Amino acid sequence: MVYLVVLRRTKPLPYASILVPVISILLGVLLSSIILYLLASIPPLALFNLIVRSFTSPTVLKDTLILTLIGLSLVIAFKASIWNIGAEGQFHMGMLVATWIALFTPIASIPVLAKITCILAGAVAGALWAILAGVLRAYVGLDEVPVTLMLNYVAYYVLDVLVYGPWRGRFTYGYIRTDEIPENLWLTLIPGTTAHVEVLATVLIVGLAIWFMFKYTIVGLRLRILGSNPEFLRASGVNVKHMVVLALGLSGAIAGMVGALYLLGDTHRVSYPVEAQTAGYGYLGILVAWLSMLDVRGLPLAAYVVSSLRVTGITMQIAGLGGTAIVFLFMGSVLLTYTVAKVFSEYTIVIRR
Amino acid sequence: MSAFLSNKVFSNISKFSREVKPLVSLRGITKKFPGVVALDNVSLDIYPGEILALLGENGAGKSTLVKILYGLYTPDKGEVIVYGEKTKILSPRHAVSKGIVLVPQTPHLIDSLSVLENLIIGLREYGVFARVDLIEDRVREIALSIGIELDPRKPVATLSYTQKQLVSIIRALLLKARVLLVDEATTLLPSREKEKFYTLFRRFTEGGGSVVLITHKVVEALRVADRIAVLKSGRLVGVIDRDRARVEDVRKLMFGKTVTNNLQVRLKRTEHIDGGKRVLEVMGLWVSRWFGDYVVRGVSLSVRRGEVVGIAGIAGNGQEELVQAIVGLVKPVRGSIRLLGVDVTGKGVELTRKLGLGYIPDIPMRYGVSIDNTIEENIAALLVRGKIIKWRRVNEFTSKLIREYDVKAPHPRVPVKVLSGGNLMKVLVSRELAIARSLLVAHNPTRALDEVSARLVRRMIREKAVGEGVGVLLVSEDLDEVLELSDRILVINSGRIVGVFDANRVERERIEELMVA
Repeated sequence: MVYLVVLRRTKPLPYASILVPVISILLGVLLSSIILYLLASIPPLALFNLIVRSFTSPTVLKDTLILTLIGLSLVIAFKASIWNIGAEGQFHMGMLVATWIALFTPIASIPVLAKITCILAGAVAGALWAILAGVLRAYVGLDEVPVTLMLNYVAYYVLDVLVYGPWRGRFTYGYIRTDEIPENLWLTLIPGTTAHVEVLATVLIVGLAIWFMFKYTIVGLRLRILGSNPEFLRASGVNVKHMVVLALGLSGAIAGMVGALYLLGDTHRVSYPVEAQTAGYGYLGILVAWLSMLDVRGLPLAAYVVSSLRVTGITMQIAGLGGTAIVFLFMGSVLLTYTVAKVFSEYTIVIRR
Repeated sequence: MSAFLSNKVFSNISKFSREVKPLVSLRGITKKFPGVVALDNVSLDIYPGEILALLGENGAGKSTLVKILYGLYTPDKGEVIVYGEKTKILSPRHAVSKGIVLVPQTPHLIDSLSVLENLIIGLREYGVFARVDLIEDRVREIALSIGIELDPRKPVATLSYTQKQLVSIIRALLLKARVLLVDEATTLLPSREKEKFYTLFRRFTEGGGSVVLITHKVVEALRVADRIAVLKSGRLVGVIDRDRARVEDVRKLMFGKTVTNNLQVRLKRTEHIDGGKRVLEVMGLWVSRWFGDYVVRGVSLSVRRGEVVGIAGIAGNGQEELVQAIVGLVKPVRGSIRLLGVDVTGKGVELTRKLGLGYIPDIPMRYGVSIDNTIEENIAALLVRGKIIKWRRVNEFTSKLIREYDVKAPHPRVPVKVLSGGNLMKVLVSRELAIARSLLVAHNPTRALDEVSARLVRRMIREKAVGEGVGVLLVSEDLDEVLELSDRILVINSGRIVGVFDANRVERERIEELMVA
């Protein structure tokens, strides 16, 4: 009799934190190319050329920065085992508040302060939106996964209603969208790319702060313990409810900040329907966070890979090789192979006779 | 006795009694974990009709050996021979099908089901529509024959610890066990109850089965086993027949050095406790379990500065709930708790910890450590009072604790989950002893520890009380420990304090009577 036995590894797989993401990306791309070949007869070689070119395209930097930030937001929550699926909604709430300040308040005309106010207000809005789910989780016991997910749609539609109604612009040529925000609020382009200096600065500041928080502060340690044993955290005299709210609040703050940055840097206005306006960064960020193995230092690389794959998908779309689904095909395949690779990094299969 | 043996439960094993071949043989078993060799080339035979004690200190490899026999681990090297046939034991279910059944230290039973329902689960021979009354008579008979009261129709939640352990063992018998792996399952029982179980084991082996009794108590091994196998640091250092075993020799084998024979030396006491301030005052405390019935019924007690108050009782008499209420993990229904004069009733752990409470929980994996985090981080979580962690300081402190308590760990940055149960407990105990400033609540602080470590921990608890004037509430199922350590002893039974004794004038028998009454 031959048995296949699945065993938990007693020792973690060496270099798992590098092997798992790399293998899952390679296998994910391979899987997508097989599907594309079978479905649309796209020759794998051409596809690989396309991918290689995407990885070196200057347009990748913009998404890399944005996704690094969303990744940071989600790593905070995920490390604490708080499954924030709502970065998308928090992003849009940040965008909403920034739009309001930019279009309808006198602050918008003050040079530097206006930008900073928009970004910070975005952070506050994102945090509050996430805290809504945090309070429901901590005090009512509602699972944060469906709550944060559903709040994404609420955020979309709130913004949609505003853009469709009271915020509809005067100079829109029949489009349903707001006016452009004043030019002094626009972010500064990094020459030769589509990315912005302010976003890069935010990545550096927030990234360092989060890294420091997890490594050197008691709050960071508590968040990590919350992720592995909340009962111990409670028994050590920490208010676990507060920690849950804090995890979501911090996570939402960063996502909201990104929403504001995206408005100031890229769209300069909000168009109806808002859910089609962006790439769904809140969801892409989930993939980025997982590919980084929840390590802050690995986030930029994970974000770079995901952005490049996204660019590949968009290029193919433009070339008429498929619809928006191509992007999702890449992302879905990588997430699938990642999940499988992660399992194999923790378990091993042994043949027994 | 003969009626007992003719019982169906035992008859299936009798055919093995005539064989002289071992039931189970281990040949050159080696098992490694990161940084440690848990078992190193261990060969051991388990014969029919014997009680074999497996003795060893913490991390000696007892649990690993049992887990290999029960199919939870697979050895890296070596083979397991069951009934003369080379076998890979793949899972607990596979082990059970081979007649190897584990009786764990804490019973794995479903509280809301009745005894019979618990027992019928897993008995496939009765088919899908098994009725519980099919086994009722047998259960009653076994319970009656060893003299432990047991109503098989009552829900398991209402049973005492002793009764639950009996149910575990009956289940093993119904599963047609030939080899019973008893993992510290009797260690915590009061001596009178222990004897009843020993009788049961004896009858079982007379029917041709064998019992492997895993224990870290030398006395228990000598009392009941036919042979004693001693493990040390993963190696089998000796197998001794009981007739030839002397306590000192066994101890020496176990610890590798001559243990000074002053194991029972009285510990230093705090003087003038009576004049000391009351650190803890509990008044008329009632605590209920989640399904509503009271498990702590009007408990009042106090602990003074420098005093060790021991609570003796059989597990499951309200100790866990009492401790959790004092620590702040559960809200009592009625009554009050004052710590350093501050009313902390139902105000949560934040407040009690702020007032300098140390807590050694009964369930360390749940309330005591976070196993995915490192030793260092588990220490820092309670030690660091500021916002920023100075890792160098934490590291120094952790290294000191590791040295002092002889924690077997490669370095302070390994995750706690790679430590053995005893070493994990040492990390937790050393931390709580270090941080307790007013009251230390210790619930079975030495349960997973071997004699030498337990000794050390008891001495440290004493020193904490005498040297720093910390009050200690010691809740322990180990009566020896309560007797050795306490200044005052309270006996708890069914959620009530049924006796208060001065530790200097106390009769062990009187306490045991009250515990089981």
